Amino acid sequence: MKKDPKAQISRRQFLKASALAVVSLSVVGGAAFWLKKQSTIKDKGLLRPPGAIPEEDFLFACIKCGLCVQICPVQAIKLADWDTGLAYGTPYIDADVQACDFSCDSIQCAETCPTAALNFQIFRKAGEDALERLYKKYPNRKLPPQMNPFVVQIYAMKRAYKMGVAKVRTDQCLAYHGKGYEGPITKHKAILRPPGEKERIRTDQTHVKREICDLCVIYCPLEQDAIVLEKVEENKYLPQVKEGCVGCGVCEMVCPTQPKAIYVEPEKFSV
Amino acid sequence: MAFIYDFLHGDKRRSPLPPKKKEEMPHSRMGITYKEWHDRAQGRHTWRNRRWAFLIFINLLFVISFTFGLGILEGSLSGSRLLGLYLMDPFNSAQELSIAATENYIPRLTTNFWTGLMTILIFYWIVGGRAFCSWVCPYHLLAEWGEKLHDYLVKKKKIKEKTYDITVKYVFWVGFILLAILTKELVFEDINPVGILSRSMIYGPGLALIWVVFLLAYEIVGIKRFWCRYICPIGVTYSFVGELSPINIKFELDKCGHCADCQDVCLVPHELWFVKRGRATREVHYTGGDCTKCGLCIDACPGNALSYGIRDSDKVFD
Repeated sequence: MKKDPKAQISRRQFLKASALAVVSLSVVGGAAFWLKKQSTIKDKGLLRPPGAIPEEDFLFACIKCGLCVQICPVQAIKLADWDTGLAYGTPYIDADVQACDFSCDSIQCAETCPTAALNFQIFRKAGEDALERLYKKYPNRKLPPQMNPFVVQIYAMKRAYKMGVAKVRTDQCLAYHGKGYEGPITKHKAILRPPGEKERIRTDQTHVKREICDLCVIYCPLEQDAIVLEKVEENKYLPQVKEGCVGCGVCEMVCPTQPKAIYVEPEKFSV
Repeated sequence: MAFIYDFLHGDKRRSPLPPKKKEEMPHSRMGITYKEWHDRAQGRHTWRNRRWAFLIFINLLFVISFTFGLGILEGSLSGSRLLGLYLMDPFNSAQELSIAATENYIPRLTTNFWTGLMTILIFYWIVGGRAFCSWVCPYHLLAEWGEKLHDYLVKKKKIKEKTYDITVKYVFWVGFILLAILTKELVFEDINPVGILSRSMIYGPGLALIWVVFLLAYEIVGIKRFWCRYICPIGVTYSFVGELSPINIKFELDKCGHCADCQDVCLVPHELWFVKRGRATREVHYTGGDCTKCGLCIDACPGNALSYGIRDSDKVFD
């Protein structure tokens, strides 16, 4: 091999720069491993949008594009900041401020996700299965003309995935102390579609009056499947969270107490 | 390897054409002095202005699409949807695919992901790979302004100019892919100023912006265009895509006066290797994959020897 002094200099330069590159990459990699060990994400307990795959996979599958953020009609989804470590840029729901009320009627955040970090297949399958069951009930698969199959489909889709589960802080609960509530549903600006209604309402502009506070029960998008108000003893009531709760967080959003008497605990991801 | 090198850089290996004689120089043929000829391009910023306008327009389109719910260009530069058509950042996708391959996740990626990635690859193959850098990337614009400050500081002798071997960016590219596989995280995305800037503009600023400010400050007082030149794996990915792009910067030797002003304004001057006297091996040359098609050289060229052109169209029509 002939010795070209110019090539030798450039080779030395390249090796020097490469060494620097390897060092800096190791620093970044080391930091990533350290952050992974710290498990800031799990401690923070981010409530993921509907359809989120197990956290370990979610962190690489999510490309942090924010399409789910944009498509959500109630803007319930936000992107996490650097303080969440490696979860930076991934979507979460701050149920306190704005919960997922399923008023999109299509779980479009999951449908829009290009990398299936929010896995829409769960909802598609649940919807299709529900439709299939419905059609089977009728001869020749012919539905009565007034029946809207879509209602059945979305009913099943809403119940197909558990984001978390609601927990009650008994001593905080107004109903437990026999108290009612009067005032706007929430003090801050938020959006909600009460179950059974067609239009969304601004919660800060809607006045409610309840003899015994049961906001978490009356606004739950899954209604009786997820939560009921139970009488504990005379003039003492408590919301009872049931199997059907998917952790959408509406109860947490509308709860008038501070700290919240009902809150959502994100699913513990155990993969 | 040699075959690939020859294929891509064969022009460099040919023996150069004889250097121009004085009477062949463009100013002589026009009958003016070299200085008169050279001053003709002073203060011309046609392509730069068009490019800045386009870059700001694209990034604003992201912002207003979200702010006003227009649905024209949704998402961010990591992944987006233009009027319903998905677009995927290629390096983000490269990381994702590397991890997915080891985690058996590839079958679960949606059709939208694949069409988005393919659309981006084909589009940027046509328009020239790193055209993304100079025409779309918001960090590039900030870095360009930072570069001006940096040049000013160098001129005032406040700082010294240092350059490194540009091929180190390939080490970073491989490194970031390896890191992604090892950690099972899109590590690069956590420190990617392009994504951070894009997301900050669209979804509101966050702590991550501190990193971008730090990086920019380092480029001003430290190494010129540190990120874009030596590190950014997004740019490297686009340079692979654009290695043989049809749309390219075309160089015509007979109009060149060898002033090398184009190399002074260029982010990747090695792509303009043929402008120095006695280097060109053909009458017409085209830039390669590292070229960002920014057009600064076109503005700077007094002889209009550089222009946007279709690669090898001269050969086809000959």
